[in-house]
Amino acid sequence: MPWYFYLALKQLFPTGRKFPFFTAISVLGVALGVALLVVTISVMGGFAFQIRQMIVDTQGDVQVRGPGLIENPAELRSMLGRVPGVVGVTPFAEGTVMLEAPNKPPAFPIIQGVDVQRVNTVIPLDHYLIRGRLDDLDDDTVILSSLLAYSIGAQVGDKVEVSSPLLLERLKHDEVFLPRELRVVGIFMIGHQALDSNTVIVTLRRMQDLYGLGRAVHGFSLKLAPGEDPDAATARINAMLPPDAGVTARSWMEFNRDFLFVLQLEKSLIFLLLLAIIVVAAFSVTSSLLIAVVRKTREIGLLGALGGRPREVAACFCLQGFLIGLAGTLVGLGLGFGFLAVRNNIVHFLIRVTDSKEAMLRFYQVSDLPSHLDRRDLVLIVTSSVVISTLAGLLPAWRAARLNPVEALRSE
Amino acid sequence: MLQAAALVKGYRSGDRQIAVLRGVDLTIAAGESVSIRGESGSGKSTLLHLLAGIDTPDAGAVHWDGRTTLPVERRAAMIGMVFQSFYLIPELNTFENVLMAARVAGAPRAAARTRARELLGRVGLAGRETHLPAQLSGGERQRAAIARALVNSPRLLLADEPTGNLDEQTGAGVIDLLLGLGAETRTALVLVTHNAAHAARTARQLFLHEGVLR
Ligand SMILES: Nc1ncnc2c1ncn2[C@@H]1O[C@H](COP(=O)(O)OP(=O)(O)O)[C@@H](O)[C@H]1O
Ligand SMILES: [Mg+2]
Repeated sequence: MPWYFYLALKQLFPTGRKFPFFTAISVLGVALGVALLVVTISVMGGFAFQIRQMIVDTQGDVQVRGPGLIENPAELRSMLGRVPGVVGVTPFAEGTVMLEAPNKPPAFPIIQGVDVQRVNTVIPLDHYLIRGRLDDLDDDTVILSSLLAYSIGAQVGDKVEVSSPLLLERLKHDEVFLPRELRVVGIFMIGHQALDSNTVIVTLRRMQDLYGLGRAVHGFSLKLAPGEDPDAATARINAMLPPDAGVTARSWMEFNRDFLFVLQLEKSLIFLLLLAIIVVAAFSVTSSLLIAVVRKTREIGLLGALGGRPREVAACFCLQGFLIGLAGTLVGLGLGFGFLAVRNNIVHFLIRVTDSKEAMLRFYQVSDLPSHLDRRDLVLIVTSSVVISTLAGLLPAWRAARLNPVEALRSE
Repeated sequence: MLQAAALVKGYRSGDRQIAVLRGVDLTIAAGESVSIRGESGSGKSTLLHLLAGIDTPDAGAVHWDGRTTLPVERRAAMIGMVFQSFYLIPELNTFENVLMAARVAGAPRAAARTRARELLGRVGLAGRETHLPAQLSGGERQRAAIARALVNSPRLLLADEPTGNLDEQTGAGVIDLLLGLGAETRTALVLVTHNAAHAARTARQLFLHEGVLR
């Protein structure tokens, strides 16, 4: 072991001292910052992961659509199905309808027409059904989102009337287009208020009928093989689409870019704010080490006289910052992951103490705290905390290396 | 072994030039003991720093074994130093402090440990190896510092007022040690002191006055 490494260790853990106070405080400062970062970024990542999952689950990995209708969907569908990496293709048509339950004011939800045979290859609809069965969906039935069903007081088995804008259109030509009476066979809950309050699902055929689309659809939702990069697959699909098709493929990241940007920005800002804790801890390390350099001026001079080189003296102090950073990071990771491991016990305890189970379930569906930490974020946390701590040793190291042995020995 | 010829050293203080050494000649033979006395501020420490090779003269030269330079890596084998205020590292115990000098010099570990143990026994600190400097008396600290100065078996020991912080009796013991160990290991000694009695015990007594050595 080089002498400067040995001395750095000894300064942190002085011989015969049971509890190295300075080292413990410094390590704890860094550790708290790291633990907070791990916990916060993990929980934020958990929520973001759920949101991303929800987006992909409801919209597919890739959507293919054009400015207008796709008149010949069968041909395009089979072509998309042949693109490497695509494991599911399902057409959709969408619009707005008026929904009426008996003796209730009408609602105006978004309507989605899905291909009952294919939809499950892309969108795990049955996974989100809280009542009824997807298999029961046919041209005379409808599935409602949970909050919509709640607000119009509809239950599985009830009848609702659905009218489309086509009704008004026909009225202009003095034709009669009667509302369709559909039976509720399912209720779904995605966990996203906008979707849950305002969506109905019917078969594609019923939707085409309601909107007078004939055989046309608005687009396709595509599912990719696991691990497939959505942007690469999208580029591949676009390359294969005939130029006259008038449609383009966009990955879910692309059509949610603004939203994802906000998520990312939020995470980056929180990261920087919490990093400030480590920076503050590092400042205290710097000041302690600077005091040590001043107090040990003559000892450092002696080391120089003994043959220690300035860069070795510098390394001795830089290493102290590095070692504090390393220990603090390890302790912080332990604290952070330890907390994450028992986070749900803590949440449940708080729920019990504050008697707020209802509210938790209402607002978050689950009373568990999600957690998801990207390897990239973990690496970022570890490297930034170790680098910042090492930088904390830099100024003291530079001061120590600059000491001229002769003057240092003289400074009695 | 060591020759200093016409050493000149001064310091600028503001726009005034203070000449501290104005032509110092000194030759030290192997194993020889020399004492240097002089008033405070006469340049004794300055001279020792030049002899140790950690400071450079404005004019004149120091020759170590005939060479005009003393590279850092050969310094430990040539020079050991003892100071008035010991300069032991407070986080290290007595043994580790002695060994530190060997570590910095890059000496082989096992041999250095044996030598450190031996020297601590020789300076009367056997059994005190694990004590921290704070747990030692002034005399004991200086003896640990002497062991540290000798751990690399230097050929010349430079002692800058080693008894300055010690009482009469303890100081005399330290001088005994320096002279005794010097003779045993054939290490030359340059002893800077204010104490005439201590100076009288060295083979040669010199005075630094007005920048020259007599
Ligand atoms: N870096 C310096 N700058 C200016 N003057 C110095 C410096 N170092 C030493 N001196 C001066 O040089 C003179 C000799 O100092 P020193 O060698 O320490 O004397 P001594 O050890 O004999 O007491 C003193 O007057 C001191 O003030
Ligand atoms: Mg002096």
